[in-house]
Amino acid sequence: MNANERSSATGAQVISLSPARHRDDVLTGAGLLPVLPALRELLPGGGLQRGSVVTTGDWGLLPLALAAGAVADGAWCAIVGVPAVGVRAAAQAGLDPERLLLVAEPGPGWTQVVASLLDGFDIVLLRPPEQPSAQLRRKLEAAARRYGSVLVIAGDWPGAQSRLLVAEAEWTGIGTGHGRLRARQAQVIASGRGAGERARSAWLWLPGPDGAVTAAAEPANVASGSPHGGYSSTVLADPGEPLASSG
Amino acid sequence: MTGQAAAARRVLVLRCPAWLDSDSASSDSASSDSVSSDRADSDGAGGGSAAARAFESVVAIAQDFCPQVEVLRPGVCAIATRGPARYFGGEAELARKLTEAVGRSGVICQAGIADGLFAAGLAARAGPTGLLVPPGETREFLAGLPVGVLGMPELCELLPRLGIETLGQLAALPPAEAASRFGPPGKLASRLARGLDPRPLIPRPPAADLSVQLEFDPPAEQSEPAIFAAKALADQMHDRLAAAGLACVRVQVLVRCADGQELSRLWRHDGLLSALAVAERVRWQLDGWRGAAGITLLRLVPDQLVRATGRQLALWGDSVPSDRVARAAIRVQAMLGHDRVTRPVLAGARRPADQVLLVPFGDTGVPQRPADRPWPDQIPAPAPATVFDVPLAAGVTDDSGREVTVSGRAQLSAPPARLSADGGPARAVTAWAGPWPVTERWWDPRHARRQARFQLVTEDGAAWLAALQDGRWLIEASYE
Repeated sequence: MNANERSSATGAQVISLSPARHRDDVLTGAGLLPVLPALRELLPGGGLQRGSVVTTGDWGLLPLALAAGAVADGAWCAIVGVPAVGVRAAAQAGLDPERLLLVAEPGPGWTQVVASLLDGFDIVLLRPPEQPSAQLRRKLEAAARRYGSVLVIAGDWPGAQSRLLVAEAEWTGIGTGHGRLRARQAQVIASGRGAGERARSAWLWLPGPDGAVTAAAEPANVASGSPHGGYSSTVLADPGEPLASSG
Repeated sequence: MTGQAAAARRVLVLRCPAWLDSDSASSDSASSDSVSSDRADSDGAGGGSAAARAFESVVAIAQDFCPQVEVLRPGVCAIATRGPARYFGGEAELARKLTEAVGRSGVICQAGIADGLFAAGLAARAGPTGLLVPPGETREFLAGLPVGVLGMPELCELLPRLGIETLGQLAALPPAEAASRFGPPGKLASRLARGLDPRPLIPRPPAADLSVQLEFDPPAEQSEPAIFAAKALADQMHDRLAAAGLACVRVQVLVRCADGQELSRLWRHDGLLSALAVAERVRWQLDGWRGAAGITLLRLVPDQLVRATGRQLALWGDSVPSDRVARAAIRVQAMLGHDRVTRPVLAGARRPADQVLLVPFGDTGVPQRPADRPWPDQIPAPAPATVFDVPLAAGVTDDSGREVTVSGRAQLSAPPARLSADGGPARAVTAWAGPWPVTERWWDPRHARRQARFQLVTEDGAAWLAALQDGRWLIEASYE
């Protein structure tokens, strides 16, 4: 898609050992890892700040989508502590599984595992197996800064530079006894740490009907505060197609 | 690779019958000398390596005439004559001086010169001291030879029945027809018969240039440092091979210990192993070798060089891990174990958890069922973001609190009203769809699985892929 991607695809630059610890895999200006277009307005600068920690709430599609843009640009991504990654969902969201490393069970020394991965992978998605102490958190934050990687936390992390959260979400395409899950319209709210940082918000297809994560219009009919995932026949009302046929 | 370029190449093949007694007596096939036998030879590794070491002395003499010698197999080597012929006063003179020099060392040999390796190999055995086929006359030289010299048993049986008994008759067949009628072997045979090379001659640079080694002082007491070193060494070796445009069919890994013990193993490489994969083989080699003292030396020797085809980059598509990525992954593998650091490969399957193959980093994995093939029962997009390797136990009840069941005819006992996943609290079901019956592997009773599948949305906005199987509710995946 762009020059960076191509240069990494040839393999020549990527294979060469780079003693200066440059991230030659991804050449982005201003220390930002690119994100999917739909996520840009959620992040200051329109990308993931290298060396930062970002939280996404519980594990789900959001952390995968957050890494997809950088991976499409040639970055490598490691997922730690998630034994049940939906790899196909990741692929549909644009996160190429070929540049993905999975460490499902990092064991008791998980902070060391994460620190090692931060030195090598541009982006590490972590669901901490336990709430880390402030000291361990600082250690991992320092590792991210030192290596210029991004640590994305599925869970809580005091001290994160950015916090993303799915505030509201509604599945469409499914009713009571008919249809099927087709897409999910979600409002993601992002807040930063800085005092002057304004909260940002965006409506996304998370995921859209083909599994991709794209910008969505704000739905007119979502009653705020209603947690119910109701049947919306106005969107993608394509009935009938079975989820599976009998074998 | 064009015909003209290959045909114009003048090659001298030096053949020492002493190493070839067994096969030269048993058949008149040229395959023993020809390139097509490289693979077959490699299988007889045991005695072959000892013979190869002894043949080194002959190769060394040949190297005095031409620094780049290709060892086709123990007993047969080849050099390109262009440079040395000019230096030694012509091809005939080169052949005479070379056979004399080898003869002085007590080895009887034949030298054949022709256009291309195949013809030169045949020329070498054409007389007591070999034959010089003048430039441009190779096709005529070959024309009179029986197709049996091709060393392709099936083809050589078939061709005479079609009235094609000599290479001349085969060469007269239009190449396209040979290829379409006899497939790739026919194409190759046709090229050979016309005096073209199936592949360019690969010179054998001095071995020291391509093998790499590292000494450990003090000896490495654990295998980990050696495995790390192996990765770096393999990188070095691959760089050197790549610089020469070569790949190796096998790589020899030699480990020496402080007590003098040596362990050497040949690993098939085929130009396909990444540096990481080579390091992995070193790990296997060390793992299988108990009771070793500290390691003092690790050496990698590329064995059997072939022209690099670029396949080594295609294993994982274009995504060859950079050195940093690989180092980080290996470091974590060292902490957790090889199998616990994986790369996912998408495969085709009906159950979400079966759709992904987890391949340990550094290994190669090919999905049994490619993902691109449409599987009729695959869950349509969007795919769930969380897929449980082992489905979670669940309870699905109707309004009155009775468990929802499905009859043999896919009739629901009542609409699902509450879902409790993995022993958690019951949550109201706000939307649902199903059942979709799935019968998987019905032909295999042990693995047969009959399911009714549902999608459920609960009051908290979560969506689930649930299945009713053998009267039990399971959660296979979660969409958020």
